[in-house]
Amino acid sequence: MAGSTFLDSSELVLNMGPQHPSTHGVLRVILKLDGEKVIGTECVIGYLHRGVEKIGENRTYVQFAPYVDRMDYVAAVSNGLGYCLAVEKLLSVEAPPRAQVTRVILTELNRIASHLLWLGTHALDIGAITPLFYTLREREEVLKIFEKYCGARLTTHAFRIGGLQYELYDGFEEDVAKFCDMFLPKVDEYEELLTDNRIWVERLKGVGILTAEQCKAYGVTGPVLRAAGVAWDLRKAQPYSGYEQYDFDIPIRQNGDTFDRYIVRMEEMRQSVRIIRQALERIEPGPIMAKVPKVIKPPVGEVYVSIEAPKGELGYFIVSDGSTQPYRVRVRPPSFVNLQALDQMCRGALVADVVAIIGTIDIVLGEVDR
Amino acid sequence: MRKLIRTVLLVDLLRGLWVTLRNQHPKHIYTEQYPAQRPKVAERFRGAPRLNINPDTGETLCIGCNLCALACPENLIVVGTERDPKTNRKVLTTFTYDTSRCMFCGLCEDACPVDALELTQDFELASYTREGQIWDRQMLEEGPRPTQYKS
Amino acid sequence: MADEQKPESSPEPVAGTPGDAKAIAPKPPAASPTPAAKPHAPKAPAVMATTPWESSLTELLKNHFGDSIAEFSSYLGQNFLIVRPEAVNSVLEFLKLEADFDYLVDITAVDYPKRAERFDLIYILYSYSRNERIRVKTMIPDGYRPKSATSVHLAADWLEREVFDMFGIEFDGHPNMKRILLPDEWQGHPLRKDYSILDVDRRWVQENLGIEVGQ
Repeated sequence: MAGSTFLDSSELVLNMGPQHPSTHGVLRVILKLDGEKVIGTECVIGYLHRGVEKIGENRTYVQFAPYVDRMDYVAAVSNGLGYCLAVEKLLSVEAPPRAQVTRVILTELNRIASHLLWLGTHALDIGAITPLFYTLREREEVLKIFEKYCGARLTTHAFRIGGLQYELYDGFEEDVAKFCDMFLPKVDEYEELLTDNRIWVERLKGVGILTAEQCKAYGVTGPVLRAAGVAWDLRKAQPYSGYEQYDFDIPIRQNGDTFDRYIVRMEEMRQSVRIIRQALERIEPGPIMAKVPKVIKPPVGEVYVSIEAPKGELGYFIVSDGSTQPYRVRVRPPSFVNLQALDQMCRGALVADVVAIIGTIDIVLGEVDR
Repeated sequence: MRKLIRTVLLVDLLRGLWVTLRNQHPKHIYTEQYPAQRPKVAERFRGAPRLNINPDTGETLCIGCNLCALACPENLIVVGTERDPKTNRKVLTTFTYDTSRCMFCGLCEDACPVDALELTQDFELASYTREGQIWDRQMLEEGPRPTQYKS
Repeated sequence: MADEQKPESSPEPVAGTPGDAKAIAPKPPAASPTPAAKPHAPKAPAVMATTPWESSLTELLKNHFGDSIAEFSSYLGQNFLIVRPEAVNSVLEFLKLEADFDYLVDITAVDYPKRAERFDLIYILYSYSRNERIRVKTMIPDGYRPKSATSVHLAADWLEREVFDMFGIEFDGHPNMKRILLPDEWQGHPLRKDYSILDVDRRWVQENLGIEVGQ
């Protein structure tokens, strides 16, 4: 503790985390406080560092695929999609239409699952316990579909380079359609619980504002950017995996505060359902795997491929030296870059708001630290 | 004015409480009573590894080709083979599988050309020692035998 | 050789399976879509097959920077330019102010230990208004201190710290040049190619965790 005299306004340093329930993992934030006000933050990260990029250099292209699931473990399918697209780009192959549609359905389901987990834990941080139970209940339905499709719930390893390993199981379409029908009213239910709730509104409105300019300067992407009024979504800007064929809107809000990010994510879940419903109609028979050599040896070269993960732009920069192992795999994690703006968002906020702000960026420490 | 009335009458609070109340109905219970009630996992679930044997002859299906060991990202499979002097075929002798390092990605299963190695629906893999996590051929063929609890 | 007999075998010769030549699987393995790669398959070209990149943007850059930009190339439709190390910051600034490349996506490096200029330093940029992505690449020798891009892009702060952490490239003028993912006292930079995947800072682990490595 700095400062000892009464009414001394010198700063107080408070250590939050790494073992703190509201830091969503092992994030440590050193807060510099002036009374109740935050005048500066410093993030200490790396507690979950596993050297994923180094592992990538020491595994073959096929073998590395399960590891990427373990970065953003609540959106493993998105990670897998990004990696597969990057290697496919290196190989200049494209997944067949049936595989692409399935990929879209699964990634959108995963986006819903990720947003649901975010909503539940974010609400829990703010003090609303009930939504957590409801969101986890609905998320369970998504995970059941994953389990039936590929045999795992979280670290799915659902996609392979060139397409899919698993054919859709019997009743997949019905399961997904049933989930969509069941899920939309549930989103309204969450909104009923939260959107008008005065504690929720008081805690979130005007907290952690990040303007569009600041977002761009910090490289912040995803719902945080969209809540600041920038209608930018990679699915629209640079479509991949056939996203250009789907009709959906990019939800945006103007204020760029925590409340707007909440609204944007709620709307995104509805849009995801819209995409899934369109995708279900597009499933057609056909092969699920493109012609990919058994031993994957991309030609010498480097590519950067990025997708819109639930948290923002997830990019893979892969350098190939023509061997079976990537020469370098760089992951551009959305959480890592978004977390950088925490300092900007926390300046001038109260200590209690820091919890709300950390929650609203939607970080997953597995992805921040890799 | 309307806002004031809504605030005084706690409309937002009551609406939220009504949602909670609706969800109290017993048909919304989702909790699984494990271990008294065992969950049913999906058919494709990737759980405990098993080395399949031919049910008629009791012989192993494994041909000792070592492809699973090569496919494994964690290098946790060790296949031991020896050559049968009469038929000159490779015969499986030992097979170890370190489940403590396994991440159940399913690549070994995909690589197996004869469907001998399979990840099954068994999901109870706990053991009391680290060594107990390293499964030998016998364990892989018989499968784990977790304690079954009755309610 | 032995491995060529087995269509699905991996390119590396397998240790511990001597005399594969006569081993015949009871069932032929599932047909692979293409003939499997032989152990020493036809060699891919050792350099990236790039094509020159020309556009109004490259003209603009050429006029402004002249010799400082060594190359404009494109690979698989992705454009990049190779810049001399001392010009990187001014190129980034020019791209940001004049060409609207206002979003710094990523900074990363690639280690080529056998090359005189050991590291590739790569800046990935995106422009919201043009919906275009380019990479600015520069080659620097070990020990060279590139100028920090934090004055141009705020986002460079952590990204440069990570490059320093993983490769040991120190950025000049960075406000807080210290490790970000690894502990501050850690020795070595793990993403360098001479750092094996099994290497750790044994002393650090011993002192701070009280265990021997490998437990």
